[in-house]
Amino acid sequence: MTSLRAEDTVQDLPTVTFGQRSLMWWGTLGFMVIEGWTIALLLVSYLYLRQSAGAWPPAPAQSPSLSMPSINLGLMAISVIPAMFAARAGQRLDEPALKRWLVVLSVVATAILVLRWWDFEALRVRWDANAYSSAAWMIVGFHSSLLLLDVLDTIGLTLFLFLRRQPVKTFSDAADNSFYWYFTVGIWLPIYLITYVGPRVI
Amino acid sequence: MAVGRMHSIFDPASAEAAAVTRLWWWMFGAGLIIWLGVAALAIRAATRTRSAEGSPDIVRDTPALGRRLERVLIAGVLATAIVLAAVLVYSFAVGHALAQHDAQRLVIEVTGHRWWWEVRYTSPDPTKLVTTANEIHVPVGVPIQLRLQSDDVIHSFWAPNLNGKSDLIPGYTSALWFRADTPGTYRGQCAEYCGLAHAKMAFFVVAQPRAAFDAWLADIANPAAPPTDSVAAQGQTLFMQRGCALCHAVAGTPAGGQAAPDLTHVAARGTIAAGALVNTPENIARWIFDPSVIKPGARMPAFHLSNGDMHAVVSYLETLK
Amino acid sequence: MSSLGDEAAAGTLDARDVTREADALEHTWRDRPGLWGWLCTVDHKSIGRRYVITAFAMFLAGGIEAALMRTQLARPENAFLGADRYNQIFTTHGTTMMFLFAVPMMTAMGLYFVPLMVGARSVAFPRLNAFGYWTYLVGIGLLYVALLTNHAPDTGWFAYVPLSESLYAPGHRVDVWAQLVTFTEIAALCAAVNIIVTVFKMRAPGMSVHRIPLFVWSQLVVACMIVFAMPAVAAGSTLMLAADRAIHMQWFIPARGGDVLLWQHIFWFFGHPEVYIIFLPALGMVTPIVETFCRRPVVGYGAIVMANIATAFFAFGLWVHHMFATPLPELGDSLFTAASLVIAIPTAVQIFCWIATMWTGRPRLTVPMLFVLGFLFTFINGGITGVMLASVPFDRQAHDTFFVVAHLHYVLVGGAVMPLFAGLYFWFPKFTGRMLHNGLGKWHFWLFLIGANVAFFPMHILGLDGMPRRVYTYQASTGWGPLNFLASVGAVTLAVSVVIFLVNVLRTWRNGPIAGPNPWGAPGLEWAVASPPPPYNFVHSPVVSSAHPLWETSNALPVMTGLRTDRREVLITTTFDARPDARHSSPRGSIWPLYLALCMGVLFIGSIFRPYWVLVGIGLSLIGLFGWGWQSSRPIERERIATPNGAIVERA
Repeated sequence: MTSLRAEDTVQDLPTVTFGQRSLMWWGTLGFMVIEGWTIALLLVSYLYLRQSAGAWPPAPAQSPSLSMPSINLGLMAISVIPAMFAARAGQRLDEPALKRWLVVLSVVATAILVLRWWDFEALRVRWDANAYSSAAWMIVGFHSSLLLLDVLDTIGLTLFLFLRRQPVKTFSDAADNSFYWYFTVGIWLPIYLITYVGPRVI
Repeated sequence: MAVGRMHSIFDPASAEAAAVTRLWWWMFGAGLIIWLGVAALAIRAATRTRSAEGSPDIVRDTPALGRRLERVLIAGVLATAIVLAAVLVYSFAVGHALAQHDAQRLVIEVTGHRWWWEVRYTSPDPTKLVTTANEIHVPVGVPIQLRLQSDDVIHSFWAPNLNGKSDLIPGYTSALWFRADTPGTYRGQCAEYCGLAHAKMAFFVVAQPRAAFDAWLADIANPAAPPTDSVAAQGQTLFMQRGCALCHAVAGTPAGGQAAPDLTHVAARGTIAAGALVNTPENIARWIFDPSVIKPGARMPAFHLSNGDMHAVVSYLETLK
Repeated sequence: MSSLGDEAAAGTLDARDVTREADALEHTWRDRPGLWGWLCTVDHKSIGRRYVITAFAMFLAGGIEAALMRTQLARPENAFLGADRYNQIFTTHGTTMMFLFAVPMMTAMGLYFVPLMVGARSVAFPRLNAFGYWTYLVGIGLLYVALLTNHAPDTGWFAYVPLSESLYAPGHRVDVWAQLVTFTEIAALCAAVNIIVTVFKMRAPGMSVHRIPLFVWSQLVVACMIVFAMPAVAAGSTLMLAADRAIHMQWFIPARGGDVLLWQHIFWFFGHPEVYIIFLPALGMVTPIVETFCRRPVVGYGAIVMANIATAFFAFGLWVHHMFATPLPELGDSLFTAASLVIAIPTAVQIFCWIATMWTGRPRLTVPMLFVLGFLFTFINGGITGVMLASVPFDRQAHDTFFVVAHLHYVLVGGAVMPLFAGLYFWFPKFTGRMLHNGLGKWHFWLFLIGANVAFFPMHILGLDGMPRRVYTYQASTGWGPLNFLASVGAVTLAVSVVIFLVNVLRTWRNGPIAGPNPWGAPGLEWAVASPPPPYNFVHSPVVSSAHPLWETSNALPVMTGLRTDRREVLITTTFDARPDARHSSPRGSIWPLYLALCMGVLFIGSIFRPYWVLVGIGLSLIGLFGWGWQSSRPIERERIATPNGAIVERA
C-alpha cells in the first residue's frame, strides 16, 4: 500500500455553513433552475400557440380577470418581507426571531396558497376548452405545485424548529428556504404578466 | 413502365431528384476520402511505436513537440471547417435552387388518410374537379405542385425518384414540387409512422407524355358509365345496399361516401389498397372479403359475401374503368 | 474527533494509525447487513454498481427487441411478428435503449466514478441518489409489465401527435410511455444535480478546474445538459400529452387552436441534446483509456474541455434538423443546417487530440484500446452521414428512412456503446477486483465490430433505395429483401459477441485473476484505492497538484487528515480552487428514498387510470418527505458554524 503523507488537517473546519458554502444551497439552486426552466418552456409554448392563433384569447375564452390575481400578487410581494427577516434571523443564529418570522411566513404562504383557488377562477375558462385555456391552466397549475411544495417545506421547517430537532442546522436551512421562497414568488411575476395581463396586450 | 431502380434516389427521374442525387455523390466521395484518411491516421498512430508491457515511463511533451502538436490540431480544425463550409454552401445552393418555382404549374391536392392517399385535380371549373386515390398521373416536363394535407395523423409523401419527402401535417398545408423528366411509373411510400398499416401505405406516380395525360384526365373526369352486364348490375345494387356507398364514392351514382378512396375509375389503376395488391379481380375479392388480413387495422370492415355476390360486386367494380 | 492528534499535521502517516482509521471508517460507512441494509444503502458505489447492472440488463432487453425486429424484417412479408406486436416492439426498443439504457448507463458510471475521481467519500446527496435509482427501477417495471401484457406503447419512442393522442391511440399504451418518461427524467435529474454539486463542492484539495479529470468534465457538462434538456421532455410528455389524453387538454388539437408541430419542437429540443447526453460521457471515457495505454497525458486537455462545452451549447441549437420535412421556413432550416455542421468541429477536435496522443505516445493495444479504435472507425462513419443529413435537400430524401437508422446506430453503437465497452473492460478491475479474460475480450471486440458494420451498413443503401422506417414488413417486389437479410445476419453476430462478453463477466466476477488497486498503471485517483474500493473510498482526502495525480507522486500520496471517523463526514472545498472549506455530515442508510420512489409509482402509474391517484400519491409522499426531513435533522449536537459575516461559533 502506498504510504500517505499528511499535508494539513481539516478538523477545525466548520460543519454548518451558509449560502454557496453549503451543499443544501446548491441543491436548492439546482431545483430552482430545473423548475424555472420548465416554466420558461411552458411560457414559450404559450407564446408559440399565440402566434399561430387569430384572436387571443380565442373564443369562447375571455381575458382573465385581474382583481384576485393582483391581490394575490401583492400578497406574494409582501411575503418576501417575513422570508427576508427569517433568513437574516437564521444568519444571526437568533432562534426566537427565527421562530417568529417562520410562523409569520408559514401563515402568509398558506394564505397565498388558499388564494390560488381564485387565481384559477380568474382564468374564466375551463382547461379543456381550447389550447389557450390548456396552456394557461397548466402554467398556473404547475406553479401551484411548486407553491404547495414550498408551503409544506416552510411549515415543516417551522415544525422541526419548534420540536428542537437540531436548531443549529435549521438556521442554515431557513436561509435556503427563504431563497426558495424568493424563487417561487419571483417566477410568478412573468407568469402573471404573460398569462393574466398578456391576453389584453399581445 | 418502370424506371431502372424503382423508388430509389440512385435513379432520379426529375430535375429536383437529379440535383439532390448529385449532391449525394459529392458528399459521399468527400466522406469516403475523409473516412479513409482518418482511419489511416488512427491505425498508423496506434501501431507506429509499441510499448513494452508494463512499461512505467510516462511520455512527456517537450515544448517544441507541444507547439508542433498545437499547429497540427489547428490545421486539422481548419481543414474540417473548410469541408463543412463547402457542404454548407453547396447544400444551400441546391436547396435554394429547388425552392425557386414556376408560376406555371399543375396543382394537385393530396390528402393523407389512414392508410390511403386522396388525390384531387383542381380546376377553375368546379364541375371539372377530379378525385381519385393512390395513383397520381402527371404530365412529363410540367412543374407539378402537390398541396399536402392530412385528415388524421402525420403522414409523409415520398417518391424518391422524383424528389425528397414532405410531411402531411394536420392543421398545416405543405407543398412538394417536382418536374418529371422521364416517363414512367414511380413508386412511393408513406414515410412517417402513422399507425398499424403504415407499412402498407404506398402510392404510384405515373408520368405520361402531355397528350396521354390530358386524355387520362379527361377520361377520369367522366362519371362512371352504368353497367351493361346483368351480373355487374347486380353487383352495383349490392354495392349500394351492402354499405359500400357509405364510405366510397362513385361519380354518377348515389354512392357519395368521403371516408374511403373514390372508386369511380378504380379498374384503371394498377394497384389497390394503396399499393398493397396488384389490381386483379382475385385480389379485389380477397380485399373485400377481409381487408385486415392484407392491411392490419384497415378501417374497412370485412364483407363475407357469398361467392355469387362477390363475383357480382367484383364484376361491377371491373366496369369502373 | 480525529484519532491522530497533532503529529498528523505534517509528515508520513504511521501505517498502523492509517489501518486503525480505516477500520473505524469501515464501521461508520458500511451498509447495515442483510436485505434491509441493501434496500437502505446510500453508498454511491453500491447504487452505481446496481445502476450499471440494471442499465446493462436494459441493453440486453433492447437487444432482444432488436433481434425480434431483425428476424421479422429478414424476409419480405414475413409473418413472425404481426403489425401490432412489431409496433410495440420497435417502440419499446427505442424507448428502452434511449431512456432505460443509454442515459442511465452514462449517469451510473458517473455516479460510481466521479466521487472516486475527485477524491471524495460520497456524492453530494446520497439519499437523492438512491431515490433516483429506485424511481428508474419503477419505470422499468412499468414498461416491461406493460410489454408483457400487450400494453406496450406503440407510437414510437418519440410519440408524435396526433397519432399518440387518445383519438388515434386509445387505451393506456401511450400513457405508459408518458409516465415512463417521467420516471426516467426524474432519475436523470437527480443524478445530474448530484454530479454537478459533487464536482463543484467536493473535489480533493488542490484539484483546481484545470486539474479536473476529463471523464469528470464530460460528466459535469452532461449533467448541466440534462438540467436543461430533461424538463422539455417532461413538460411535453407529462404536462402536455398526458394532460391531453387524461383530462382533455387541447395542446396539440388543431381544431381547438393546438399545434401538432409544438410537440415536435418540444420533443426534439430535448431529443437532440439527449443524444449528446449519451455521447459526451462516452468520449469522457476515451481520454483516460487513451492516456493510460499510450503512457502519456492527453494532447490538448484545454481543447477537449472547450470541445465538451461547445458541443453542449451547440447541441441545444440543432433540434429543427429533425423537422426538415415539415413545412417550416427555408431560412430557419438553413440556420439549423449551419449549426448542425458546426457541431462536428468540437467532436473533430477531440478525435484529433486522441490520435495525436496515440501518435506521440507508446500505444498498447489492450482490449479497451481496441474498442477505442473500433469507436473511431465506426463513429466517424456516423459523423459523416450526420453531416450529410444536415443538408436540407439531402435530408428530405433520407429523413425517416433506413439511412437515418444506419446513421443513428453508427453514432450510438460506434460513438457510445464501443467506448462504453472500452470503459467496462478498463474499470472492471476497479468494480470487482478481478481482471476480465483478455482472449474472450478480443473475440467480443472483433465480432462486435464486424457484426455492427454488417448489420448497419446495408441500411444506408436500403434507405436510399426507398425503405422507410418503422415498417413491420415490405413487399418482395421492392427488392429490399437481400440487404435486410444481410443486416439480420449482422445482428446475430452482434448478439453472439455480447454473449461472449456476458460469459467473460460471469466467469470472472468472482473467480477471475485478482487485480490490485492499479493494474493498468493509470493516473487517476480512483486507482489509488483498493479494488473494489472500501465504503469510505479514501482514508484521508488526497491532495492533488496535477491532472494526473498517480503519475506525479511516486512516493507518499499527500493527504489532508481531520475528518471524523465516528460519523459520516465529507470534505467540502471551494468551487474554483478546491481549497478545504467545510465539513459536511453525510447521511446513513435510509429507507425513505425507496419509499418515496414507490410513492412516485403510485402517483404517476395511478394517474394513468384515474386522476385521483395523484392525490393519493401526494399524500403518501408527504409521509416520506417528513421521514426524510426527520432523518436529516439530527438530535442536538455540538456544531461549528461559520456565519455569513465570517464569525465561527460553536453551538448546540
